[in-house]
Amino acid sequence: MAVYKTQIKSVKEDRIMGFFKPKMRSKSYLSNFLGFPTRVIVLILLFISILFPFYWLITNAFKVEQEYFASPPVVFPSKITFQNFIDAVKKYEMFKGLKNSLLIATGTTVLTLISGSMAAYALINGALPRKLKRVFGGWFLVQKMYPAVVVAVPVFYIIRTLGLLDNVLSLIIMNTSFNLPLVIILMIGFYQEVPYEVEEQSMLDGCNLFQRYFYITTPMVKPGLVATGMLTFVYSWNEFLYAVILTVNKAKPLTVTIAGFITDKGLIWGPMAAMGCAVVFPVLIIMWLMQRDFISGISAGALKG
Amino acid sequence: MLISRNIIQSRTDKIHSWLFLVPVFTVLLIAAFIPLGYGFVFSFMRYKLNLQQAPVFVGFKNYIDMFKDELFIKALKNNIFFAVLSVSIELVFGIIIAMMLSDDNLLSRLLITFLMVPLIIAPVASGTLWRMMLDRTYGIVNYLITLIGLKPVSWLGDYRIAIYTIILVDCWQFTPFVALLVLSSIKAIPKDIIEAARVDGANPFKVFTKIVLPITSPVIVIVAMIRFIDAFKVFDTIFVMTQGGPGSATEMLPTYIYRQGIKFLRVGYSSATAILFICSMSIIAWLFIRLRSSQLKRIE
Repeated sequence: MAVYKTQIKSVKEDRIMGFFKPKMRSKSYLSNFLGFPTRVIVLILLFISILFPFYWLITNAFKVEQEYFASPPVVFPSKITFQNFIDAVKKYEMFKGLKNSLLIATGTTVLTLISGSMAAYALINGALPRKLKRVFGGWFLVQKMYPAVVVAVPVFYIIRTLGLLDNVLSLIIMNTSFNLPLVIILMIGFYQEVPYEVEEQSMLDGCNLFQRYFYITTPMVKPGLVATGMLTFVYSWNEFLYAVILTVNKAKPLTVTIAGFITDKGLIWGPMAAMGCAVVFPVLIIMWLMQRDFISGISAGALKG
Repeated sequence: MLISRNIIQSRTDKIHSWLFLVPVFTVLLIAAFIPLGYGFVFSFMRYKLNLQQAPVFVGFKNYIDMFKDELFIKALKNNIFFAVLSVSIELVFGIIIAMMLSDDNLLSRLLITFLMVPLIIAPVASGTLWRMMLDRTYGIVNYLITLIGLKPVSWLGDYRIAIYTIILVDCWQFTPFVALLVLSSIKAIPKDIIEAARVDGANPFKVFTKIVLPITSPVIVIVAMIRFIDAFKVFDTIFVMTQGGPGSATEMLPTYIYRQGIKFLRVGYSSATAILFICSMSIIAWLFIRLRSSQLKRIE
């Protein structure tokens, strides 16, 4: 009975934080390897240094002007105001930025998921020469290596020639190409988890490759698809380099708007902090929804390539 | 990774599987292959976008000019300094944090969740955050410093300090990355090995140096490689915090290429820099891969 109970407990714990399964009690012996006091101090410092900047951002977004210019700095604001957000929306076009960011991130996610999952499926279950798979593997490695900035000038030139400058579409295309390797790697992992028998059976039933992809296998990996999509969404939401190169005014996403604050508008901290909140919080919410998939997604993307 | 399944395929399946690759190829063609090709061709030409002038073939002149340009040398030096210092700090702290969080209590798990936060917010946003906190007159960091009795520091305005500030922000953002990946490999170490060492009377620090480090070293090498290569991609943070300044104190290769190509529209020259950049990155990556495979052999 006791064993049964501990099993239930461990299942529960698994559900809470499924990625790191509780394994051993003796681990705390390892984690105190520099002594218990050092550990406490380091972890407290870590905690503060991670969370304090966010606290600072949020409070600055709600502070009145005298308080964010006060010296000594006001840690606990005495008055809360929404003026900064109103300014950010009215004077600095926060909604336009939000709309563009949303369009770019959603467009990228959809495009990447469709094209990436198709490619991953074809690579795993399709009839392709083995060499091609190796080529793909090599290409992922190369693309991970080269910094995006090296193609910046030619891309600028091409997009200008195509007349897509300051157009959301150009950013969607660029972000898709950056996220494809990650999506393909992750989706290959998910497709490989689908039992081979499923493929075989549906083939015997006369499904062709497209039908198997669309009606049978992809619905089975839906959770994986969602997790991958979230990751892509976050990455393209955060993208900055091409956003700053390829947009002028109309298609500016939030990241560019906020950078504009810093470079030429000096110290307009309130609206800037409000804008910062708008950049950060959607991502934090997504992260909160998907936390364990995030860790495994990030580490798989890093280690498998 | 790419193990194919041996299914007997019909002809329509063959056609379909090629068709499935079409979208990916289209995107890559527009966004990667054609630009890379253009970049390669432009790198041998003198071509400025703002002049109404056809590109002129100049051979290797752009590549030679590069090494005569002091700003380029400065950017290269800065970038190498930045990469080496920030990656080593990140590795040291990342490994320490990973070790400290390797037990399974609730608090550690909570902290692991928080660790992800700097990792996934936009670099632009983290630059903004730190820019506010590090402001010379109104920033809270300087206030805390004056409390201890030191003079306020001009974190981003002083050409000697600015690069360290950038390193600090980079470490804040990416130490969690190292920590999370090392942590998952520490958790994968079989329990009995550590138990056995413990029974034999090894102290925790010894277990760390003799068991944990050797076992996790392949992962550490990969993480170091990824971070090192990423350190040469740093752009957002610098753009937001210093714009490469003051002077050229925080100018790095990506910002240099950006400035030459997009701001001064020197297409040929900046393409040459970019091509050289890709080549040197591939060499570094190749070295790392060699290192890793030799390590794997030794373990076997």
